Amino acid sequence: MDGLAGYILRRLLFLPLTLLIVSFATFYITRWGPGDPVSVYSGQYRDQEAFDRVRHKYGLDKPIIEQYGIYLKQIVLHGDFGPSFRFRDRSIPDIIAPKIWVSARLGVYAFILTFLIGIPAGVFAAVKQGSWLDPFVISIFLFFQSIPVLVMVPVLVLVFAAQLHWLPSGGFDGVFSKSMIIPTIALSLPSIAGVARLARATTLGTLNEDFVRTARAKGLDEVTVISRHIARQSLVPVMTTVIGLSLVGLIEGAFFTETLLGIPGIGRFVFESVNGRDYNVILAIVLVITTAFVLANLLVDLALIVIDPRIRAGRGVR
Amino acid sequence: MSSKLTLGIAGVAAALIIALAVIILVVAKGGDSKKSTDAPASGSDTPSASATKASADFGGKAASGELRLRGEDPLFLDPAVAQDAGSALYIVEIFSGLVHLDKDLKIQPDLAESWDVSPDGKTYTFHLNKKATFHDGRPVTTADIKYSFERALNQDTASVTAENFLGDIVGARDVSRGRATEISGLKVVDDLTVAFTLDAAKPYFLYKLSYPTAFVVDQRQIKSNPKNWTLKPTGTGPYKLKQWKLGEKLTLEAYDNNVLGAPKLKTINYDLTGGSTLVSYEDGDIDVTGVGLDDLDRIQDRSDKLNKEYTQTPRQSVDYIGFNTNAPPFDDPLVRQAFAMAVDRKKIAEVVLKGAIPVATGILAPGVPGYTADDKTYAFDAQKAKNLLAQSKYAGKMPEITLAESGAGATVGPTTEAIVQFWKDNLGVTVKIQQAESATFFTDIDNGKYQMFHLGWIMDYPDPEDVLDVLFYSKSKQNSTRYTNPGIDAKLEAARIDPNTEARLATYQDVEKQLIKDAVWIPMFFDTTHALVKPYVKNYAFPPVVIERFRDVEVTR
Repeated sequence: MDGLAGYILRRLLFLPLTLLIVSFATFYITRWGPGDPVSVYSGQYRDQEAFDRVRHKYGLDKPIIEQYGIYLKQIVLHGDFGPSFRFRDRSIPDIIAPKIWVSARLGVYAFILTFLIGIPAGVFAAVKQGSWLDPFVISIFLFFQSIPVLVMVPVLVLVFAAQLHWLPSGGFDGVFSKSMIIPTIALSLPSIAGVARLARATTLGTLNEDFVRTARAKGLDEVTVISRHIARQSLVPVMTTVIGLSLVGLIEGAFFTETLLGIPGIGRFVFESVNGRDYNVILAIVLVITTAFVLANLLVDLALIVIDPRIRAGRGVR
Repeated sequence: MSSKLTLGIAGVAAALIIALAVIILVVAKGGDSKKSTDAPASGSDTPSASATKASADFGGKAASGELRLRGEDPLFLDPAVAQDAGSALYIVEIFSGLVHLDKDLKIQPDLAESWDVSPDGKTYTFHLNKKATFHDGRPVTTADIKYSFERALNQDTASVTAENFLGDIVGARDVSRGRATEISGLKVVDDLTVAFTLDAAKPYFLYKLSYPTAFVVDQRQIKSNPKNWTLKPTGTGPYKLKQWKLGEKLTLEAYDNNVLGAPKLKTINYDLTGGSTLVSYEDGDIDVTGVGLDDLDRIQDRSDKLNKEYTQTPRQSVDYIGFNTNAPPFDDPLVRQAFAMAVDRKKIAEVVLKGAIPVATGILAPGVPGYTADDKTYAFDAQKAKNLLAQSKYAGKMPEITLAESGAGATVGPTTEAIVQFWKDNLGVTVKIQQAESATFFTDIDNGKYQMFHLGWIMDYPDPEDVLDVLFYSKSKQNSTRYTNPGIDAKLEAARIDPNTEARLATYQDVEKQLIKDAVWIPMFFDTTHALVKPYVKNYAFPPVVIERFRDVEVTR
């Protein structure tokens, strides 16, 4: 276990360094770009002297490097993300947590649907290699992948909400409501093709392996061969990687889908925050997503160690 | 074999669970700190008998006296600071000031029951209404007025508008510039009497006092909870903020002891989750909705079942093309005039805007004193426009021209496209369109970076000073066209302090005509609210400026 613990520790030590680089880049780029929260928040009032007084109050008139130093001190010593310039009376975790929560719940649905359809479709296509079913299945999903979200969402709304009145046209009423259906479809349909093709490719790579032939020779039925032998051997490691990395997508949200359907998730909120030059909120979201990404990477690697005997042996962990 | 498979699946499951746990942890952390910040705010709230009653009502789905609307989250409910229209909608219900504007935009008593103006027009003495109270029952005194005004101006409050709306009071600017903490021109005479001395006799001073910057806030609450008091503010307005869950819902509840009497409408529930309001309206989930241009054709069709519920109201706002009068080629008035005459606005209104929005007849919108219905703008005349351009100093050597507008850069609005097409067809000038998102757009206008820009102006209060003086006085901070005309300046200065209303408005009308003649702007359209209101909702009004509007609404559902 020493090896594994050391490995985890080494990986985790890189997290603060990653966060430092990412936070500096984000901090610098947002503040360096045109416009600032004071100016944009003031709308049609263009009183530059008043702007300067407010900027001074928030320390926005200091050099960016100095502002970054202050920010770093605040966040390291007090865990304080600083003020939001738009929602001035709420702490940043208060503001973004509900948005992430909305996107995450939506993301879980889309995630499950993507893999639930994608993996069997890919395995099926691989098994049917050579017949018309293989390209047929894959091209159906490629077709959906090539429809831009900007087109897909309005069409879904038009058909299922405006014409058929089966589903609400937008909004978010919680996980067990009909309002989840359109966004779930819109979010998962385009990504099914990727998962299906990957599943197909890895399955194909395994189909002709000796152990598969052995399994067939043993007289096992095809379903068992595919599910037990092929799927386990080829799919699990690859899918662990894909699944692990797409987990980050859960909290990133989806800008277009959320905006078009009026879902108060983090994707839409990032865009609003950028437009409102809400520097600290943008930075906080970037930091959360970065952390999630680093951790997801680590988890994937750990999962692979557990799953794949070769990696396990190589590390001497057991 | 199968044990390894189980192990593999367990591994994937573990990875999933751990990753989800991380997410939930982040979310839960936010949730926790939310509770802790909420606590002091809700602690300061004293639930009254009516609160319990209303919450009982709220449980029933179709309780009468409840209005259901779709809304956006307010950003920040501090009347001294918020200047976005989204927050103002709620602020005007929760807070109030010495005076307010009624539906006809006339000044009416509010916290002050009366006031005297000195003969020289420079001193206003307000007498507070004894019945004026905060939502916790505490009477409003002149000390609260003094505190609220001085707080608004104080630099720590970080208000961009305070100087604009309170700066006419002698000494107010000393507070906003950090030279003093008290307004020297504000005298507290006794608990119910307060006097303001102005730097000049300004007839629009009362209008400025009707604006949220001059609203009263509760100093006790702010002092005890300086950071989060706005989450559950103790105001003086007709409605209390009962509940606000970010991105979910916001509930306003009648404050029955309001100085102007108990509101008829008891509860207003805002759904903040977003989505198509028209569909929600048709489904009967909300009682009022705005209507976009795309749905207007259908709604305006008399055979549509929604047509009877349709209403349209002018807003005091004007959409315009502004010229940077310093930037070539628009430093030549002839070029500006040519551009103004080359656009057939009536055709755009008919074809592009489907007749939904009226063509502007001038700079002053309907309802603003001094507005007249007769068209003061340049009529469409392609030939004359061409001739004017030929006479200008840029004839034959037109520089590149770009029209800037606010937008995401994906698609250009059909109105802007039509305008640019008219210039191309009638003047032979190709104008490029540059879209910038609003932060960049406003900053670049401030810096005079654009040759011309497509923008709107929303009146803050119904006085011509709020657009003509603010935007066209040469030394105004908001003179985005950089227009300088000593004759106009002199007239604006005179009108500012002219006690004779008629003469004053005549001066403004004169200025308006001159500005249009000089083609500093091409006034394009006056804005209009298109909306649907359910038949069981009575007295629902769409005031042309942001003012309190729910008090008299009746819902008989």
